[in-house]
Amino acid sequence: MRNRCDIVGIDVGGTNTDAVLVRDENVIAAAKAPTNPDNLLEGAQTAYRQVVEAHDGTSPIELHLSTTLSTNAIIEGRGDPTVVLAAPGPGMSFDDMGLGFPVHALSGYIDHRGREVAPVDVSAAMSTLKAACDDGAKALAIVGKFSHRNPAHELQIEQEVIAEFPQYSPATLGHRLSGRPNFPRRLATAYLNASIARQQSLFAEMVQNLITGDEVERVFILKADGGTMRLKESMIRPIETILSGPAASTMGAKALTRHPGANAVIVDIGGTTTDISVQVAGEPIYDRYGAEISGHKTLVPALFSRSIGLGGDSSIHVRLVDGAPTFHVGPRRAGVPVVRGGSKPTPTDAAVAAGLSSLGSRELATTAMAQLGAPYGMDASSVAKAVLDAFTRQLADEIEAVYAHLESIPAYTVSEILAPPDIRPAMLIGLGAPAPVFIPPAADRLGISWEILPYYEEANAVGAAASQPTAAITLHADTMLGVLTVPEADHVERIKRPITFDIKQARSEAIAWACRFAEEIGVEASQGVSIVEEESFNVVRGFYTAGHIYSIKAQVRPQVRRIKAAETSGVEGPDQSKEDV
Amino acid sequence: MEQRKTRVGLIFFPAFDWAITPDHPEREERLLYTRDQIIEEGLLDVPGVEEYRPAIATDTDILRAHVCVPTVNRVITESHRIAAGGAMLAADLVLRGEVDRAFALVRPPGHHAMRIVHGSRGFCNINNEAIMVEHIRRTHGPKMRIAIVDTDAHHADGTQDIYYNDPGVLHICLHQDGRTLYPGTGFIDERGGPRAYGMTVNVPLPPGTGDEGILYVLENLVLPILKDFEPDVIVNAAGQDNHYTDPLTNMNFTAFGYARLTDLLAPDIVVLEGGYSIEGALPYVNVGILLALAGLDYSAVREPDWDPEIARQPQRVTEEIHRLTGTLQEMWADREEADIGAIFGKGEYFERGRRIYYDTDNIVEQQREQIRLCPSCSGWRAVFSHALHASTGRTAQIAAMLVPWQACPDCRKAAYSQFELAQKSRAFDRVYLQDPDDDNFLSSRRT
Repeated sequence: MRNRCDIVGIDVGGTNTDAVLVRDENVIAAAKAPTNPDNLLEGAQTAYRQVVEAHDGTSPIELHLSTTLSTNAIIEGRGDPTVVLAAPGPGMSFDDMGLGFPVHALSGYIDHRGREVAPVDVSAAMSTLKAACDDGAKALAIVGKFSHRNPAHELQIEQEVIAEFPQYSPATLGHRLSGRPNFPRRLATAYLNASIARQQSLFAEMVQNLITGDEVERVFILKADGGTMRLKESMIRPIETILSGPAASTMGAKALTRHPGANAVIVDIGGTTTDISVQVAGEPIYDRYGAEISGHKTLVPALFSRSIGLGGDSSIHVRLVDGAPTFHVGPRRAGVPVVRGGSKPTPTDAAVAAGLSSLGSRELATTAMAQLGAPYGMDASSVAKAVLDAFTRQLADEIEAVYAHLESIPAYTVSEILAPPDIRPAMLIGLGAPAPVFIPPAADRLGISWEILPYYEEANAVGAAASQPTAAITLHADTMLGVLTVPEADHVERIKRPITFDIKQARSEAIAWACRFAEEIGVEASQGVSIVEEESFNVVRGFYTAGHIYSIKAQVRPQVRRIKAAETSGVEGPDQSKEDV
Repeated sequence: MEQRKTRVGLIFFPAFDWAITPDHPEREERLLYTRDQIIEEGLLDVPGVEEYRPAIATDTDILRAHVCVPTVNRVITESHRIAAGGAMLAADLVLRGEVDRAFALVRPPGHHAMRIVHGSRGFCNINNEAIMVEHIRRTHGPKMRIAIVDTDAHHADGTQDIYYNDPGVLHICLHQDGRTLYPGTGFIDERGGPRAYGMTVNVPLPPGTGDEGILYVLENLVLPILKDFEPDVIVNAAGQDNHYTDPLTNMNFTAFGYARLTDLLAPDIVVLEGGYSIEGALPYVNVGILLALAGLDYSAVREPDWDPEIARQPQRVTEEIHRLTGTLQEMWADREEADIGAIFGKGEYFERGRRIYYDTDNIVEQQREQIRLCPSCSGWRAVFSHALHASTGRTAQIAAMLVPWQACPDCRKAAYSQFELAQKSRAFDRVYLQDPDDDNFLSSRRT
């Protein structure tokens, strides 16, 4: 059992930075500061200083930080010039992959079972890197096709070029970032990781300086999969910190909901965007292949999240359809709401005008609604209602679209096609400042119950505080070839007794490797490793079973510290007593 | 190469939990390496390539193409329904305009399944292409002209049987010469029934045929025939066992050759058939086909053991293919001159008898068939079939009355009244009626 400590969770959002201090199961303090996009640590520091005042000084602090640093660096194209050395073997041409960055192809070929067909050309790697170095390349990524089945080519290139060009160490190797297939995604993941590693290291230093002197014992950074990793580890695998914001919301819901085992849709309504995520039987679901960022498809494990341009500060559009005024919200941001001094009407103004929010002057809001409705002969209250209805309808439609998409995801077995798992939501869990206005009517439209989370305005920061470390490995054992690989851990071994190596042994090896890997990157494996995916095939050659192929993913699952609600916070509906009538 | 950017719908259903028997070629592992290769290549992320979840074929969908003895459920598993449903979805996607082309990469296969189904033959129980074609006619009308080009190394005797007398479906079948391979049919004189004579085109290729030979046939025979026929839909039944590594055949085709074939043929719909070189061929052939369908560069698709000599065919094979192509060109050109009366007789009915062996399920079927030589439609048919399940001793004696699409009133009436009569007879265990125009499929047991 670990010593008791205070956890400070910080979520650096696009507009605001939220912070909370959590002790045991309780939120002790919360704070909010505006985010300065040019210095992400500024808002974080302000919010941190406020909540840390509640720290009693007797126990150490653990800091959990969710930032947009790497996300922004990628979206804004501020990564370092990076050279990508690839051993593609025959197949799809690079031109058709639509990567958006140059790749230097080397000869070398590893097949789908990890057998080397042709050796990699190391001397070409050397001369390519020399030329790239002269051109000012600052970072290096090395990626092979099927390197998750056999990392030999990547390792060989790394060993030889780093000996000659030590300034490129540590290089990013594709197989270490993910044991999953998909060569173009592996290329993108490694490229992006290499290109932002230096900035992440600088950021890590700044974070260290910021907290020096406090009792901060450990710093964790949030990842897209809803888990955390050590600050130090984030310098090696910065790509995993992208899109941690939506993940923080999802984990916040998991920490705070009164219905932890439910099928639910989680909706985080912000000023500019709304994020929709899904949990099935209390567990958040993942992207099928990996996160997508700024047009790059990656292998970064990420919670499924759909972001739509719909929020409290969205623009409102009216047009005549068959003579009747029809309202549409978003996708762009209109700016600050009128009640907060803005010039254009927003859904927030509609909520204030309708008496559902007390964010500002109802008079101002009513005037804004009246102006919007004047050309159509509509009064303020019917405009406000129409705007709120449009928002609710669009939100409900998007949620429907999310489920239609998830249910159309292909399945590769008869049993999954015949009996697809029931993922449909029983409830809508809402967070974000505008949630109380929009969540109940949206749930009503979907015909499900709803819950506004306790601390719904800073539930994302609570999610950051409540998140726990994660780590995952992929074990691939091919007993016919007699080879076992755990790419994330750089491990390849001969299976000593392939004839007796069975699924049970594969499972226990996978669990053991997940624990070992977790310890290596600073995760306490006591948190429970479980097998999350498993495949087992007989390899039959010439009418005899010549071996087995086992593919197992073992993971320290994203877990949360459950947070108790203060007595007054959080609401639910519909009221059961009302429903009985 | 020609640059096209095409929207491709992929229906991938590898049935990872289904096998005929654990060590059968048609087993769980068959598309494992194909899945690994397609995902590793990143093909599912290519803009324009969209993956879909297969539909599930209902009894009615299946009964449009087959008479299942005794019932649908007794001759198939759920996996067959999903494979057939995958092919149907491929057609829907293309005909609805959601995609330009679709690839049903599904198993189990179907092209050895004939109209009457007592069990499994050539690893096939129900015919995925035929169920799809009948679905197209159901949803888009019976006047749709459909061409099936079967490029499996085995003769598609099932598809040939189903469309034997159907003038709306052109069936071109390239395969290894039946004298050297299962099922031992598919010779050039098998040209179709009395009302669809010439609409079956068999191209029996000599063992050893490589890229050069198949592409020669494609360019000099298949494409010109398609041009004449003017189909609304071109279907490629894409067996992958012409590959030089296939364990069951003796052909010399490569993955690049398959991609090139797909590029030239430009099919609307591709449906996987056989192909059991699951490691050496399928991963590369399927990547090649997908790239070609999507209009992407397939020139770098290559098997691990490929070398320039591998696809080269002997000179005598080349010569034989050229001669065969010449003969078939003439036969196609002269198809309308053929003396139907001399071939099928001048009576009211043409009658034939056949023995059909089901290798997978060890069933021997004896069939007698009467086709009405109707002046106004393609003619109703009566099929009398006796099956002996050799391993159990079970037998089945059935009669099936088949009404063709766009049947004339006389033929429809005759089929229905024969169905009534046969029901009263004590000779049959079951009696069936198939009427696609009315989507009416009846069966009755002996009382």
